[in-house]
Amino acid sequence: MTESAANPLDAELEKLIGACAARDRGALRQLYDLMAGQMLACMLRIVKRRALAEEALQDVFVSVWQRAAQFKGARGSARVWLMSIARHRAIDVLRSERADLYREAQIEELPELASDTTGDWSSSGRSAAELARCFAELSREQRRGIELAFVNGYSHADIARATGEPLGTIKSWIRRGLASLRQCLES
Amino acid sequence: MRHDQPELIDALASEYVLGTLRGAARRRFERWRADNWHIATRVHTWEGRLMPLALGLPPVTPGADVWRAIEARISAADGSRSAPLRRPVMRALAAALVLCVIAAGGFFAWRLNAPPLQPVAMIKAAQGADVWSIEIDAHGAQLRAVALAGAAPRPGHSFELWALSAKTGGAPVSLGVLPTSGQLERTLDASQQTALAHALKIAVTLEPPGGSASGKPTGPVLFVVDLKKSA
Repeated sequence: MTESAANPLDAELEKLIGACAARDRGALRQLYDLMAGQMLACMLRIVKRRALAEEALQDVFVSVWQRAAQFKGARGSARVWLMSIARHRAIDVLRSERADLYREAQIEELPELASDTTGDWSSSGRSAAELARCFAELSREQRRGIELAFVNGYSHADIARATGEPLGTIKSWIRRGLASLRQCLES
Repeated sequence: MRHDQPELIDALASEYVLGTLRGAARRRFERWRADNWHIATRVHTWEGRLMPLALGLPPVTPGADVWRAIEARISAADGSRSAPLRRPVMRALAAALVLCVIAAGGFFAWRLNAPPLQPVAMIKAAQGADVWSIEIDAHGAQLRAVALAGAAPRPGHSFELWALSAKTGGAPVSLGVLPTSGQLERTLDASQQTALAHALKIAVTLEPPGGSASGKPTGPVLFVVDLKKSA
């Protein structure tokens, strides 16, 4: 069990991933019941269209079934491992569907920042609390850039379009924001 | 990439995880990551750092079809992985073993252990005689067609079963050719399962031997019957 499995949900997920590696389909179903909703929420924010997101979610669970044995050596928590597979799949789908998405879902309104409006994301464990603390030290623009990219799957150009700021400025916000986060989280 | 530039590697890992590293740069970084444990470690670190942002989103419940499709896909993948046997000797041994199992009645033992299938439709001749019973399992993944009366198509033709699905815009989805005697059981693929899950009716058409080659019905529609939906 990894260090992060001190979280009961992570411990349960680790056990289920291990059972998937032993070809236990019941375990995959339990994983699905525990995580599919959260994974779909994340993917839907990125790919924007429900049918695409649900199809990509299928890909993710098929991939988890096939790659479960690789988790043993993976670093980090089971939840992060699962969510990362989901995010990367969503980004891949977004990349391939990009042109269509622009036609259908124009970026006109800026989503509100989770860090401005809710405390939800900052109340789920030690790593989340650390991120919340360091996030609070960033400028609002840096937070906005990082959240739009990570949660909504926006590219630098998308963020420039959404905020009306020059592309170079956006790149700079994000680069400096990430550097500040790193410094804060490693201090 | 030079591995003695930890700051650069970390910056690239952070932009990769954030999703702002795109195009050729993203693909190049993915190759480096696959070959380099140190880079993979930085990626894991950034995933752990930023993931709380995505974990705070309110969950969205997937549609019921999603799980059914996942089950069908892993069944198909597991089946195809175990199927190919590369060595001819192994193939011959496997074939001999299959024959022995069938001869010993293993087939019947397998049938007894199979999940129960429920009748969902009875296809009747114009005179009222039962011609086929159509049965599916609780997951809608396994279909069995049982020929109850002698169902002989015109020479050089087959009977083909179709799901009339509202989901696919009304286009019938083939569920395979029907037996003319005995019974025939098959595992449905994802699109067949989806079509069946959304179908209210099934139909039988007369097709060339082995069924329509185009995937669409070509011959006359002989029967259309309602599907019995479980509660």
